[in-house]
Amino acid sequence: MIKELIFYSFSSVLICSSLAVVLFRNPVYSAVSLILSFITSGFLWLLLEAEFLAIVLILVYVGAVMVLFLFVIMMLNINKETEKSSFNSVAPFAVFIGLIIVAELITIIWINSSQFSTSSTVIQQSSQMGNTLLLGTELFTNYILDFEIAGFILLLAIIVAISLTLRPRKNLKTQVASEQINVDPKKRMKLVDLKETK
Amino acid sequence: MLTLQSYLTLGAIIFSIGVIGIVINRKNIIIIMMCIELLLIAVNFNFIAFSYFNQDLAGQIFVFFILTVAAAEAAIGLAILVALYRNKKTIDVQELNSLRN
Repeated sequence: MIKELIFYSFSSVLICSSLAVVLFRNPVYSAVSLILSFITSGFLWLLLEAEFLAIVLILVYVGAVMVLFLFVIMMLNINKETEKSSFNSVAPFAVFIGLIIVAELITIIWINSSQFSTSSTVIQQSSQMGNTLLLGTELFTNYILDFEIAGFILLLAIIVAISLTLRPRKNLKTQVASEQINVDPKKRMKLVDLKETK
Repeated sequence: MLTLQSYLTLGAIIFSIGVIGIVINRKNIIIIMMCIELLLIAVNFNFIAFSYFNQDLAGQIFVFFILTVAAAEAAIGLAILVALYRNKKTIDVQELNSLRN
């Protein structure tokens, strides 16, 4: 009973904060609403016994990604541009289409609900082994190659983000190491014949 | 009684909010990137719900990789945004039509 209460209250908070992300004019308000929806979905994941992923969601998203978003919003200083009309002309039609999408998805989910195979015994796995232990065991044995590819993707993201935003300064006096190494000593000094002066 | 369908319905609602947010927005690209994050959260909801109700841990592994890729995507997207603002002095969606002609 308490789980239903938690689920319905938290999911209504989640839906309201997602609507706030879309509807706010100021991007700072949208970012703060997105933080609220991340934390709320983290709590809902705790209800599904995905403790590790819930903590990772809150740490990585709220702690890193949303702080990065807020940094960019503050750095670009776009608050004064938000006075214009915020929605374009296709907005009513888009909302209509979106409502149709919701209706279709919910209809499919609830009509064909017998076709979703669910395990008959939902065991409480947290009582035997922790979710983190199970996930780590699975990740470092069967999915080790995927894990390393994920690390490579993160490395790639670091390199791309730095190379996109790095602005080389002009008139910068730097050493070019390859030219310094490849100097030919014979070309360094030139002997000039001087005529004798009397 | 919480069933799989309740979680799937929640995921569907969040996904549709994200889709509508991408379409109706005209202000700036930052809101569009936040809507992409909402879409990813909705998809992760479905994965975790199926993982719990089928007692299969592969769904949570997949969510782990989705979180990794989403973090990389957010970092690269914001870097592109900074480079764009530096060159164009705006991030308004309506003004960024230099590919049109």
